[in-house]
Amino acid sequence: MKKFLATAAVAGLAAAPALADDIKIGSVAGATGPIAELVAPILAGRNLAAEHVNAQGGLLGGNNMVLILADSQCDPKAGVDAGQKVVSVEQVVAVIGASCSGATNGMVQSVTIPAGIMSISDSATAPSITDLKDNDLVFRTAPSDAYQGAALAKLAWDAGYRKLAVTYSNDDYNAGIAEVFAASFQELGGEITANQLHEPNKASYRAEITTLSAGGPEGLALFAYYGGSGITIIRNSLETGAFGKFLAADGMFDASVIETIGAENLVGNLMITQSASDPENASYQLFAELYADSGFDPAAPYAAHGYDAAFLVALAIQKAGSADPALLPAALRDVANAPGEIIRPGEWEKAVALLAEGKDINYEGASGPVDFDAAGDVAGFYSVNTVGDDGQYVMDYIR
Amino acid sequence: MDLGLIIYLMSLLTMGGIYAVLALGLNVQWGFTGLFNAGIAGFLAVGAYTQAILTTPIDRDHLGAYDWPIPLAMVVAMVFSAIVAFAIAKICIRLRSDYLAIATIGIAEILRLVFKNELWATNGPRGVSQIPKAFEGVRFADIDWLTGDLSGWAALRYEAVSRGWMDVPLPTPEERFLTAGLFLGMVVAIVLVLYIALEAARKSPWGRTMSAIRDNETAASAAGKDIEAFRLESFVLGAAMMGLGGAILAQYLKQIDPQVADPLTATFLVWVMLIAGGSANNKGAILGAVLMYAVWSGTEILSQKLLTFLSSDTVGLLTLAEAGEWSIRFAYLRVFLIGLILQFILQRRPQGLLPEKRPKPRPKPSPRSAPEAEKTGSTQA
Repeated sequence: MKKFLATAAVAGLAAAPALADDIKIGSVAGATGPIAELVAPILAGRNLAAEHVNAQGGLLGGNNMVLILADSQCDPKAGVDAGQKVVSVEQVVAVIGASCSGATNGMVQSVTIPAGIMSISDSATAPSITDLKDNDLVFRTAPSDAYQGAALAKLAWDAGYRKLAVTYSNDDYNAGIAEVFAASFQELGGEITANQLHEPNKASYRAEITTLSAGGPEGLALFAYYGGSGITIIRNSLETGAFGKFLAADGMFDASVIETIGAENLVGNLMITQSASDPENASYQLFAELYADSGFDPAAPYAAHGYDAAFLVALAIQKAGSADPALLPAALRDVANAPGEIIRPGEWEKAVALLAEGKDINYEGASGPVDFDAAGDVAGFYSVNTVGDDGQYVMDYIR
Repeated sequence: MDLGLIIYLMSLLTMGGIYAVLALGLNVQWGFTGLFNAGIAGFLAVGAYTQAILTTPIDRDHLGAYDWPIPLAMVVAMVFSAIVAFAIAKICIRLRSDYLAIATIGIAEILRLVFKNELWATNGPRGVSQIPKAFEGVRFADIDWLTGDLSGWAALRYEAVSRGWMDVPLPTPEERFLTAGLFLGMVVAIVLVLYIALEAARKSPWGRTMSAIRDNETAASAAGKDIEAFRLESFVLGAAMMGLGGAILAQYLKQIDPQVADPLTATFLVWVMLIAGGSANNKGAILGAVLMYAVWSGTEILSQKLLTFLSSDTVGLLTLAEAGEWSIRFAYLRVFLIGLILQFILQRRPQGLLPEKRPKPRPKPSPRSAPEAEKTGSTQA
């Protein structure tokens, strides 16, 4: 009886979604919560892409691209709720987000995949997102942590390191990179003398450093945020003389590291990888120029990825010729991957014209070529940063 | 109203229901007995991780692949939570209110750090993903309408769930409504059963002893009640309910990590709900949970609607870029709003929206003994 009532209710409620003048895209991000500062430049990137689309004729011949923000608070609870809001209430055609890996994982599994809505994450880097059974609905422009850990391991090996100690701040980001780093370094033939996690925000790490220095490591691979524990660990290591050489990932990339520790201690002794766009790449240069007005640094973590995610959604809608969510994943692969004429950030009119002629396009993004693999992931691109004689970072793009 | 909005309202009620389970658990501890438990997040995490580890069909970097049936895991989640609570209560239940609060904050933090650091079991900060959710695999095709065959319902389609989405067709919008409705139905049923049981308990001698302990421990002790045993029972019972709440939450989110046990949304918010709804009133706990969650989540929609309206072509007060900036500011405003509501309720209705109603004790049918007792009482005084 109840079942029949339910179906009757459903039949009465199902209404065909009408196409309005606005085409809504969900923009889910941890606007409040632990990574709020990191999220602001990413959102600026997403919004800039929408501005470009709207200023150059809009979607599907004149429709506004509207980004609907929902706050994921970097928490799976809020991530699922934010997903429900944009998917069920706002009826968006695709979702960008939801910032942190945990929130993204919850949102896509509980909301967007069952609803058949495509999602593109611009900053979730957990490897577990790769192997979701997602019916090809989950993409990301941010590379999985797996790549950065492997890139740093290769750098370390090439720089002549054979024995390293590893320590990482116990959060999902740093733990993930450290795990892959240790595995890759051992695969190359290197030895990990110690691998220990630490809790961030302690006043001193002398005890941890003493444990880590056992076994004669040549340097310390340090995966942490500079403000949380990174700077303190480097300082304690230099004070105790336990370590003189450091390898780190992008959580440590900040000028304050040089300012507090002193350039003289770090020249030739510090190597930081960072998820980076090739500075000589035409797409990145275009983006950096366009993004300058936003008041944020174009090299801010994942800002370029945010731009690319939003621009790609727009291209996919244009390619599909309609805002039908079911058509978007295939269209997205089409416009993002080779072959096709190259489209760069901001070139919306050109893309629309080419698509109208029935030509294939290939978006080369600000963050990299954004070619999606079978799992919807992109390859990672990194720079290595060392401290130069002038006390500034010297950046080398890893090719 | 369109189907999407209804599905959202259902998700609102589902989360409200999950918070209601937590608030009812807290009501047993604080409302009935006056135990200041500031470690709700810890018991929630025990329940959530138990559910996740026992039911998740894969074991990617964590303990798992046991593939247990969902209801059985929920029962075990309650039992585990109760066991942890029992061990804690044995040590610190004799602490008076504020000291107990400090102890439970510490314990919740210990539990959270254990879940964060025992990588082999919990995958640390990355958490457990792909947790099966009750009813999520139900499809119309499974239901034999003509014969009324219920086998598809009875089995809850675990096997379809454990095989993952690749092998189950994605739900149609109507099936999303159905699966969300069934899950909501389960949550509502659980809240209802807990409510009926707690109402019975509240009116029973057990419940009246609890409020006696809460209001005047010395007097209750003088009446021959074993205070410590009662406090322990109440603490364990409440914690078991929090564990159950965690077990439902894990299914609903399909992904848990230590952030789920974040003190703001897992402890503080539950306290706000109970205080706002009405401490020691079970109806109040449920009302407070649903209402506060609706405010917590629903205000975002209102602010978005407002911004979309203001930036639309017809009104044009804001550009799209300005609307984007404002939407971030509104996100912070919501946190402020919860605090404001709490202040308002504490000022205007210190007992909550639904104040406590004391059960009336049945008058003893002994008219002659009453004046005698009064006489002896007065002579002693």
